[in-house]
Amino acid sequence: MSIRRISVITFVAVLIAFGCGGGAPVTAGPAAVQVPQSPAEAPVALANQKGSLKFTVLGDFGTGKRGEYDLAAQMARFREGFNFDFVILVGDNLYGSERPQDFQVKFEVPYKPLLDAGVKFYGALGNHDSREQRYYDLFNMNGKLYYSFKAPKHKVRFFMLDSTYPVPEQIDWLEKELKGSNDDWKIAVFHHPLYSSSGRHGSDLELREVLEPLFLRYNVSVCLSGHDHVYERIKPQHGIVHFVTGSGGQLAVGDLDKSSELTAKGFDTENVFLAVEISGDAMYFNAISSDGQVIDSGIIERRVPVRGAP
Amino acid sequence: MVMPIANRFRIVEGAVVVALALGGAYAGDATSPPTHPSDIVLSASEHQAAEAFESRVRNYRTLQRKLEATLPKLPKRATPAQVDENQRALGELIRTARAGAKQGELLTPDMQALVKRILAVVLGGTDGKNIKASIMDENPGVPTLSVNDRYPDAIPLSTMPPQVLKALPKLEEDLEYRFVGERLVLMDAHAHIIVDFTDDVLP
Repeated sequence: MSIRRISVITFVAVLIAFGCGGGAPVTAGPAAVQVPQSPAEAPVALANQKGSLKFTVLGDFGTGKRGEYDLAAQMARFREGFNFDFVILVGDNLYGSERPQDFQVKFEVPYKPLLDAGVKFYGALGNHDSREQRYYDLFNMNGKLYYSFKAPKHKVRFFMLDSTYPVPEQIDWLEKELKGSNDDWKIAVFHHPLYSSSGRHGSDLELREVLEPLFLRYNVSVCLSGHDHVYERIKPQHGIVHFVTGSGGQLAVGDLDKSSELTAKGFDTENVFLAVEISGDAMYFNAISSDGQVIDSGIIERRVPVRGAP
Repeated sequence: MVMPIANRFRIVEGAVVVALALGGAYAGDATSPPTHPSDIVLSASEHQAAEAFESRVRNYRTLQRKLEATLPKLPKRATPAQVDENQRALGELIRTARAGAKQGELLTPDMQALVKRILAVVLGGTDGKNIKASIMDENPGVPTLSVNDRYPDAIPLSTMPPQVLKALPKLEEDLEYRFVGERLVLMDAHAHIIVDFTDDVLP
């Protein structure tokens, strides 16, 4: 398969990597992304290696409506060939009321095949989510509004943030967690995207101002978010790859700005989840629509700390 | 735990400086006037208003904890039914205990004035337009609100920009600021009820 490496190691990126790009100092080089050269080419296949870390990402899904159910069924079918262990939830896990029956209709029923198979779900909260979801057993938040967890047997850590209420204590906690982590892969998960080309919400500039310097300083490679009801992979920003995965149940058809210079790949006509596999320094990804099409794919190489950085 | 207000404000020639630190920490010292454009100098009366507010918030949290202790303990890994039951039961206990509570008891008039002034500074800066847009994102408001009401289930929680949270007085655990339309609501995030609110706070 012919794959073109999209070089993000440009002169500008090098400047940024060495702290000459303005803003916070950068202690790691940029992530690199390989994607198919043209739409006509076959997508980059997930490696599906034994022992690799496999998970999926889902956002803005808890509607209890057909879009959610169809995509959930597709996820279950997809798992027959790609045995992912857990699902990362980027928020808006339940829309509207959150009575016990809503947890069934909007979560437990559509994902029953996955739950029955032992797949774990790790929640982050969106603006539609009650704070009490942190106590919900199946979201594995253990009563915390923000938390981190390490993937078993892998040097991969997820930083699950509460972006609707980023109090200074949370930002301080995040810095300590990032600083204390020696994991190869640091993946930040939060609802509001730092970069987005959607018309409905778009980039959260205030959050970016606070979070991005920490992500750069402490070697975060990938950010997973939602909020906008589309799929979008952003061109690496200061060396970090951002995904917007907000079409797990909701869908804003036509909301993506097709002329946006941020977009590496966008898709706003069907519900989508993201399948991810991490093996060593490589992260394979496939974005899968509810009819099973791979609408985006590629390989990300993690950011590697610059020699001599703290 | 609420940090003592004296630790969070710098005293500068009889005034108190809130180090908003938008984009960076306040770089002044105790003997020099504030130089950061986002610093707010509080008068002595404003400082007292903020201290008194934090004291009222502590009292509310004490009451909430006391009432919660009378309920069956929520298991660490609870079912939605258990969480919902606990939340609504706590809300009822608080409503009963604060049956006569009125708007303005925690966010008193002097505190309302301080909140408005702080927000005017935060939203009056170069990024103010974007910050206000974040606050109003998916924030349609509701026609009426009442103290002790359940926070409206039908509307999403407003996004609170970090710059706003950093500027406002710190709250106790389980209490949060939220905007409902242009009202600032003090919300009990555990009992999911409105503790207090103040109207028209956005410049």
